[in-house]
This record gives sequence, C-alpha cells and structure tokens, in this order.
Amino acid sequence: MPLDFNRSDALTFGIELELMVLNTHNYDLSRGAADILPRLAKMKLPGEVKPEITESMIEINSAVNRKYAELSEQMVVIRDAIVGVAERLNLAVAGGGSHPFHRWNERRIYPTERFEHVSSLYGYLAKQFTVFGQHIHVGVENGDDAVYLTHRLAPFIPHFIALSASSPFFQGEDTSFETSRLHAVSAFPLSGHMPEVETWEEFNRFFDEMAGYGIVESMKDFYWDIRPKPEYGTIEVRICDTPLTVELAAQLAAYAQTLAADLLRNRRTEPIAPLYRVYGYNRFQATRFGFNAMLVYPYSRVQERLREDLLKTIERIKPMGVELGTTVALEALARQAERSFNGAGWMRETFERNRSLADVVRMQSERWAEVPRS
Amino acid sequence: MNNILPSLPLELSYPLLFGVLLVAGMMGGELARLLKLPRIIGYVVVGFVIGPIADAMGMRPLIDEARIFVDLSLGLVLFELGRRMDVRWMRRELSLIATGITESTITFAAVFATLLAFDVQPVKAGLAAAIAMTTAPTVLLFMTHETRSEGQVTERAINLVALNGLFASVLVTILLGSAHFARDLDVETAIFMPFYLLVGSLVVGAAMATFTRVVARAVERSSDVHFTLILGMVAAAVGVASLLNLPVILALLAFGLFARNTERGHDLLTVSLAPVGRLLYVVLFVITGASMPLTALADAGWMALAVLLARAAGKFLGAMAMAPLGGLGIKQAAGLGLALMPMSTLALLMYHDIAKLFPGFGRDVGPTFLTVVIVMEVLGPLAVQHGFRLARESLPDETGAFRALKPGPSN
Repeated sequence: MPLDFNRSDALTFGIELELMVLNTHNYDLSRGAADILPRLAKMKLPGEVKPEITESMIEINSAVNRKYAELSEQMVVIRDAIVGVAERLNLAVAGGGSHPFHRWNERRIYPTERFEHVSSLYGYLAKQFTVFGQHIHVGVENGDDAVYLTHRLAPFIPHFIALSASSPFFQGEDTSFETSRLHAVSAFPLSGHMPEVETWEEFNRFFDEMAGYGIVESMKDFYWDIRPKPEYGTIEVRICDTPLTVELAAQLAAYAQTLAADLLRNRRTEPIAPLYRVYGYNRFQATRFGFNAMLVYPYSRVQERLREDLLKTIERIKPMGVELGTTVALEALARQAERSFNGAGWMRETFERNRSLADVVRMQSERWAEVPRS
Repeated sequence: MNNILPSLPLELSYPLLFGVLLVAGMMGGELARLLKLPRIIGYVVVGFVIGPIADAMGMRPLIDEARIFVDLSLGLVLFELGRRMDVRWMRRELSLIATGITESTITFAAVFATLLAFDVQPVKAGLAAAIAMTTAPTVLLFMTHETRSEGQVTERAINLVALNGLFASVLVTILLGSAHFARDLDVETAIFMPFYLLVGSLVVGAAMATFTRVVARAVERSSDVHFTLILGMVAAAVGVASLLNLPVILALLAFGLFARNTERGHDLLTVSLAPVGRLLYVVLFVITGASMPLTALADAGWMALAVLLARAAGKFLGAMAMAPLGGLGIKQAAGLGLALMPMSTLALLMYHDIAKLFPGFGRDVGPTFLTVVIVMEVLGPLAVQHGFRLARESLPDETGAFRALKPGPSN
C-alpha cells in the first residue's frame, strides 16, 4: 500500500516543541501533564497542545505559517498561556533538551494506547526517552521534493545541533557534551537517517519492504533526524534540543525555512552517498563540541570549524532571507554563533555560579517564562 | 566476677529501646505490606502491642521519656511541611485558601456542634474541635513518600494540611487564653499568653531560618552539607522552642516556611530528608501507637462515633465543596477529601499539651478524643492510600507490563 504524500504549499512551516513539566519545590520533573492539558484544552490557542510519552512532558504545536514574524508571535501567545496555567497548578515549565538530574525510573508513561505499547516494547528506553526536542516542519509540494530536501538538509544538521544544544547535564552529571539528548534517540533501532533513495516512488518501495518484514507500521516508527511526513506534506527536522526560549525556537525554524528555500531554488546534483559517509562523524563533533566542532566536507574533503561554516552559510542565504522575511532571525543566529554561545553554555555558566542543578532548572523555567529584552 | 557480670535487675537502656522499636516496627510494617496495607498501620499496631507489654514490664517511663524521638521526628516533619507550603502559590491560586478555610471551618463547626449536643462545655468542645481540624502531617508525608504520589491532589493536600495545622494551633492558643480568663479572671495572662505563644513561635522560626541561611551561604553548596545543617537546625529549633515554652508545632512550621519562601533567597538547597526521615518515622509511629491508651476504647460511647463521623464529613465535604473552584475533577476532589482524614501524633501531642494546662479537658473529652485518634490511626492511612489511588497520583505497579510482551516484530 503506497504512502500518499499530501501536497502542501512549499515553504510553509511550523514547529513542535516538547517541554518539561516541573514541580516548584525541588524542580525535578513532575507528572503534571495530565493536569495542565485539560485546562489548556478549554482555552483558544493558535496552535495545539498535546501529551507526550511520559507525564512529565507536554508538546506544543504551532499552526502552519508562512512568515517568521507570525510564527514568532504565535509561539509567545502559546508560551504565555502555558506559563499561566502552570503557575496556577504550582508547576513550572521549561525548555532544554533533557532534565539535568531527573531519574528515568521515576517517570510515568502517559496513559494512551500508543504510549503504553511503546513503553512495553522498549522497556527502559521509553522512560529514558524523557528528552525534549524541537521538530521543525517545512512544507513541500510533492514526495520527490521531500526526499530531495531530506538528503540535502543533512549537511546542515550540525548547525542545528550547535545552535539549539541545551542538554549538557544528564542524570545529575556534566556529560561533557553540548547535547546529551541525542544519545537517548540513538538507542532506538530505527534511528539515524533515511536510506539513499532518490524519489518518492523509491521511498515507497523501501517502506513497503520494511512493512513487509513487519518492522514498521507507519512513518512514526522511524526515529530519523530528518524524515518526510507524508500526512502533513512536509519534511520534519527532528535534531534540535528544545531551546531555552521560544524566540530561539522560532529563529531555528526560520533558518530551516530559508535553507530549504535556497536548496529548492538552487538544486544540488552531487551524489548523495558521500553525505552519509561523514554524517555520523560530523553529528558527533557537533554534539560534543558545539560551535567549535571540526566538520568534514565530503566533496571538497576539507575540514572547517562549525562556527565559520554556519556564518558563511547564513551570509550566503541572506538574500533568500530578505525574500522570506527571516533576516531578523538569521542575524540573531549569526550573533549567537559569533559569541559561540548556546543553551548548553548558559546552563554550565549558571551551574558554575550556583553549584546546584535544581537552581539551574529553576532559572531555566524563569528564562522560559520571561519576555526578552531587545 | 561480680564486676564483670551485670548487676540484677537488668536496666533497659535507650539504645536497646530504640533498636527494639525500630526492628519491631519495621517487621510490623512489612507484615502490613504483605496484607497490602500501608506500612504505617503495621508500625502503629506494633506500638499498640508494645504499649501494654511495656506497662507490664514496668518500662512505661522509658517509653514516655522517648518523647525526644517523637519531638525530633515531628519537628522534621513540620519543617518539611512548612517548606512545602507555598505562599506564592496560595496568592495565585485562591481556591487553595478557600478550600483550607472551608474544610477547617466546616470540620470545626461539625465537631463543635456534636460535642455540644453531648453536653460538653463550650470551651472544651472548642478546644477538641480545634484539634480535630488538623490532619496528621506525619501520615500524609509518609504516605506521599511510600506511594510515590505526586500531582495536584498531593500538592494541594500538603498545603491544606499545613494550613489546617496552622489554623488549629492559632485557635487552640487563643482558646486556651480564654480558658485561663474564664478560670482565673486574669486578663493579662489571657491576652499575653496567646500573644507570647504566637509571636514567639514566629520569631523563633524566622530567627532559625535566618541563621540557617547565613550558615548555608558560608559553607559548600552541596546537598550533604546542607542536609546536615538542616537536620541540626531542626533539632536545635525543637530544643529552643521547648526551652522558651513555645509550641513546637508553630515554631517548626514557621521555620520551614521562612526557610523556603522568599522571592530572592535561594541559599538553602532543597535536600531530601527522606533517608533519615524513614528511620524516625518508624520509631515515631511505634511510639505513637505505644502511647495510645487502648483502654479508652472501652470507655468510648456514641459520642466518639459521632465525633468521628462529624470530622470525616466536615473534611470531605469541605474539600468537595471548593473543588470546582480549583478546577479539580470529581475523583480528584474525593481523593483530596480522603487525603485529609488522618489523625495521629500531632493531634495526640496537642491533646496532651492542653490536658496538662487544663485538667478538666482530659476527664471530659479524653476517652472520646483518644478513641477517635486510635481509630483514625488505622483508617487514616487507608483513606490516604485510596485517595491517592482514586486521583491516579500514586505510582502504579507497572513492572509486569515489561515482562508480559513477547519478542518479535510489530506487536
């Protein structure tokens, strides 16, 4: 049975953010999702708020947008609504890729059929998967474009990692990585990247084969970093840690939109295979060293620091940014790269000052709730 | 030879007593667990059994003197309760205060009216009704740890228990003042005493909290160090409060409250007191059980049953009435009502403190009151267990699910 790719308008975009739900006495994760969600359901919001696999997570979805400015505004509205509801329940919410000190065995699976199935299948991996990511959807007109973009965005994955990284601590320790969240994803058997298919038809053959083995039932079973999402007519970039602010979340989405626009206009024709020879290495470099990672370029075989590559890329796609209205976002990201500063750096600094991970999380939640000065 | 062998009769010592209470209590708890009952019930029942045995062996004075364990453990519990009480939340979420006032008032009124109907003097009825307002913080916090319960019902219950403990202590202090007035017609004592007790407790609590913060800033910010600091300061606070003749309950609640709730100060780490708490809890509940005069049951009559029902109804209805305001569902509301049921050490201590100052109190309401506490020692933990389960906040047993699944593709 072929997967139908629902057409959507090219370059429309939206985001999903997974958020931590925290108690306010020691800032550990709390099972508050079940109390927050029904209250939010009664409010009129531009997006959607949903449960995630454990009761300590909620997921927020923006609506489908065309402009960065609209998305950005929308996220603030949703953010404010959640913060308001959480406050009345004596809970806090925060961004960040993983909770710095929670114990995975204390998590509870949100009671839906799918989550309970995933939990019974994956055992501790399911609870270990209490990590918080940002997914960016970019609309494409057909399945072939989705396959094309999925491959061609792969070299930029390290940029998204470095910009969003905000999970340096895990189970109470500094992991020495900028993001530890991605390790929780890698543990799943169908993680990684899409195989080297070139068209939607080829992809369908691959999918049918996997379904024939009885390994997968739907696209949801693939935990790839970037994957086509035929139901929405989008490609989905799933590599980012949930950033510490909604502003950065919207900026990252704008970067993805602008990159996609550039890739669709200036079609790349180099072979795909080399992209994936270096993929795992570059991805590791970015998770470990952030902006200082040394990336390998498959076609030219040179190495370059992630920061410089990112700044050059932003410079190159600037004209496209003007067309799409993402200039402000691109500039903000460039400033961040110049300072080599991301959420992980902020969290480490905060920990140095306070020597308490509970305080780091408390300040994360305050940062999430605050209106930025700019 | 004579100075090698111990001299007869053998003298029991505190370490032995502590050890026996701890091990016997623990075994009672595990037995209760086998019967799928909360462990507390096991601890208390062991106490019920040990009490009469201790009497028969002439050990009663030792158990009475073991009050130091009780004071320390209760001090720790009240400190934790004060620290979990969140004034900022109460300001944002008015339904909490509303529920607190409603359930306390209804409970007070119901018990007061019941006692009056049985011809108890108003002052004594008032004092007894004030104690009936309290929910046992020891039981609630222990059950929260044991069932690993968390969520709106748990959080609200903890805050409500802090509130009704606060209301009750203040009310008792004021009523005792007026009891003095009625007896001695001594206006100064009647006004000065409550004032001293209330303000004194607050001052001691605030002073201890400030001192703790100062020390916390000076030492390493690690949870081990802060744990020791808090434990020491709680013990000291209990000592200071009794030295100054102040109610330990209010002083320690205030200490906990001031140690947490300032917008800027986050000097003190939130350390878990659970490791030492567990040990103290066991001893606390065994001693509480042992100090219950079970003979009260024999003297109890319809009045005890009426008070028991009035109190339970007051708490339950109070929680239910205000639940819609806080956005709680029907099961959550019922769970909250049940979580407010327990009576234990706190009520017992308040009762003894009043009986000491006010001799007629023990004679008139003693058997009734003690019977209610004894029954609630057993029913209270069950109510909390079911309440948390009803609200789906206690940790369900899910280990079975992992094993049940067969390996293979696409289940």
